[in-house]
Amino acid sequence: MNKKIDFTLNGKAVSRDVPTHRLLLDLLRDEIGATGTKEGCGTGDCGACTVMMNGKPVNSCLILSGELAGADIVTIEGLKIGAELHAVQKAFVQDGGAQCGYCTPGMLMMSKALLDSNNNPSEEEIRYALSGNLCRCTGYAKIVQAVQDAAAMLRSKNP
Amino acid sequence: MSKAKNFSVVGKRVQRVEGFDKVTGDSKFIADIHLPGMLTGRILRSPYPHARIRSIDTSKAEKLRGVRAVVTAEDTIKRPWGAFFADQYILSVGKTRYVGEEVAAVAAIDPDIAEEALDLIEVDWEPLPGVFDADEAMLDGAPLVHDDKPNNIAMHLDLERGNIVQAFADSDIIVEDTFTSMPQWHCAIETIGSVAEYSPNGKYTIYMNTQTLFNARYRIATALGVPETDVRVIQSAVGGGFGGKSCDDNNALVCAVLARKAGKPVRVINTREEEFLAGCRPRVFMKINVKLGFKKDGRIRAKELKVIADNGAYSAKAPAITGVAAMRHDTCYKYSDVKLEAKLIYTNKIPTGAFRGFGNPSAEWAVEQAIDLGAHALGIDPLEIARINAAETGYVSPHGNRVTSCELKQCLDMVENMIDWKAKRANKQPNTGMGLACTVHVSGKRHFGDYDGSSATIKINEDGKALILSGEGECGQGVHTAMCQIAAEELGVPVEDVEISRADTDLTTFCLGAFASRLTYVSGNAVKNAATNVKQQLYEQAAEMLEANAADLISRDGRIFVQGAEGKSVTVADVARARLFRHNGAPIVGSGSFDADSVLPDSTRFGNESGAYNYGVQAAQVHVDPLTGQVKVLQMVVASDCGTVIYPIGAEGQVEGGLAQGIGYALTEGLQFDEGRPLNPNFSDYRIPSMRDMPPLQHAFADSYEPTGPFGAKGLGELNMDPTAAVINNAIFDAVGVRVKTLPITPEKILRALKEKKG
Repeated sequence: MNKKIDFTLNGKAVSRDVPTHRLLLDLLRDEIGATGTKEGCGTGDCGACTVMMNGKPVNSCLILSGELAGADIVTIEGLKIGAELHAVQKAFVQDGGAQCGYCTPGMLMMSKALLDSNNNPSEEEIRYALSGNLCRCTGYAKIVQAVQDAAAMLRSKNP
Repeated sequence: MSKAKNFSVVGKRVQRVEGFDKVTGDSKFIADIHLPGMLTGRILRSPYPHARIRSIDTSKAEKLRGVRAVVTAEDTIKRPWGAFFADQYILSVGKTRYVGEEVAAVAAIDPDIAEEALDLIEVDWEPLPGVFDADEAMLDGAPLVHDDKPNNIAMHLDLERGNIVQAFADSDIIVEDTFTSMPQWHCAIETIGSVAEYSPNGKYTIYMNTQTLFNARYRIATALGVPETDVRVIQSAVGGGFGGKSCDDNNALVCAVLARKAGKPVRVINTREEEFLAGCRPRVFMKINVKLGFKKDGRIRAKELKVIADNGAYSAKAPAITGVAAMRHDTCYKYSDVKLEAKLIYTNKIPTGAFRGFGNPSAEWAVEQAIDLGAHALGIDPLEIARINAAETGYVSPHGNRVTSCELKQCLDMVENMIDWKAKRANKQPNTGMGLACTVHVSGKRHFGDYDGSSATIKINEDGKALILSGEGECGQGVHTAMCQIAAEELGVPVEDVEISRADTDLTTFCLGAFASRLTYVSGNAVKNAATNVKQQLYEQAAEMLEANAADLISRDGRIFVQGAEGKSVTVADVARARLFRHNGAPIVGSGSFDADSVLPDSTRFGNESGAYNYGVQAAQVHVDPLTGQVKVLQMVVASDCGTVIYPIGAEGQVEGGLAQGIGYALTEGLQFDEGRPLNPNFSDYRIPSMRDMPPLQHAFADSYEPTGPFGAKGLGELNMDPTAAVINNAIFDAVGVRVKTLPITPEKILRALKEKKG
């Protein structure tokens, strides 16, 4: 069943006529062409498809289009601030937080969600917050480092 | 005196060349490629581990609105293909041999229609008795997976170097045990996928997330029955490989057949479940019986290994992997007399194949525990046993492997210090223990024909920037950054002035791809040689401009000048333009090749298989809860000898990531089968390590220089996957005195072993 869905994507109003069972992930990637968000498992186990929905991180492979009316969605395409990389993006580049880069968009969105609520997380808090985001390349050491460095960048901007 | 040399770009903490695209979501992975009119392909897979196909009726599926093509084996030339033995088909011919095998496929205008069409394909199945255990498969009268393979034996290797009977007779003590490894899946977060289009002139263009393009092209051309030139493979960004994306599966082939029949581009992306069932070929699982003879002073005198390896239904690279498991570790310690027998056995399960370590993790799981058994039997510190037997530069293994650089003893010293081995052993706490293991790996392996080389082309653009054209397989490990550094170092330009293209079989020269930890060493040498060629052209032109001899010139930071007269210089851009914009002008472009000084092993598998060997040591401290059997890894330390470290951030990532896969292999990962049916093909039941599962880790690189490597470098990628399971199990034994003999080492198995020990 198709339905007209109105929501906000990265600050812009979007209106789409889509089947209500269409997953947010597929809506973003196939209908809108925002392919930065990745599918890793389709079952909510790996976190590669993490986006922000109304300020909270969600697995976009578990959200149906029918749930989107009026929602505020932020994806990796909306993480940059103007032309400038977000602190967590800068830190991932600097520290080597991405190897293959496939889990990275989801990892960055989850990191942003953590840093939005806590700009001085302990290593334990980082590992807890990101434990639902799987990475098979890095062994996570450089991701933890990057989130810590991003937190420091954010604190120096907004002490 | 330090062995490492100082370089201007090599060894510097540069950032990854694709770093920006990876954090913005702009990297184009396979699922991000969209061609006009592209259809979605889906595959009908066998629900049976072994069944005859009496008939397939596709007529209903073909009539479904929106379906553009339905294919079966009748749409192929039914020519078997495979990395070493030609034993698999694009789509089942007559029968299927494992759950998940490709039987038919559909291309439709959207995924929902494609799925619906699969349900409309009618297959008349005749289920056959299957065989699911390698030992049972060898028995007379067992069902045959392939009719032409008696007793289901795919390969049998039996050889002896020296005199094993005499060597065991000479030994003061002998230890023996049997260890079983488990299948392990690559679990790259991106699954395998392809986008294919077919041009009526006969050419297939296939976008793939493969790590071995030219091997892919060869196998695709073979299976489709067309010349290699009619297949163009273009590499997308690759979301992790680890051996799983080295083209032993049928994804791209099915995609190509669909695209030809539909006359439209088709995309086939594996779901996560498909990836477990029939995508990446998981690690070959093995039962290894190991017997070691030692002299009283700790020297190894004799080694005998019996390997039974589960090949699954088709053989892919398992024959080579089984050989590696039986032999590779003989380059780690100074062995004289060894005997090995290895059997590779067909079963009705997913074909096994190449995964980081290539047989070595199974072998080290067994052999490094046997070394530990020997240390305990002799009452010698396990670290000392390793030191007594460690290979050194100049060692030649019983199989002819020639070691041109080896810092294994230095790695042992480093690990001893990092983990404070002696003090912790002296102050042992209850249920807490320490273990270690040594490891060896290759830097390339000569086994795809008599070649273990690489080639590259470098062109200088009019703005003076260099572009490397390479057909090697960047799959996330960061080798493109290392290649840019090597080219920049040789050319004398800043690393920011070097770019590298993605691989494309029509545009780049022949390269074998990413496997056997070969790229930094083999393709690094090829890139360096290409850069030397280009530098010579730059110098000849610059010599004219500077009125000097080319032989007197040097370059630094993108400027070329007479050594000692830096004041008068020309830029690389000046030189490139001067060479081009003139009468008889020509661009500056040069190629380079390299083929390792290795030997294609002979019929007895004797011969130096690689140009260089990399070494390492890992140690762990663990705590075991005797009430729950839960293992907590308190600390891990790692020392690696990979020669010169070219790209430190990337190299560290290889160590950290390899170790994480080793920890998963040791403690949590293992696909469960019931009569050949995988029971846990998903990320919630097949648990790879999360961020919270990683222990505190300290690691470092040995001071090392490989004389045949580019600027002294050798391989690294697989080294730290190999020994981790043995390290952790040796530490568990030290902690609580029991040894689980099968992977993964679960709390249940530890509790059972503790109960048995109590009696």
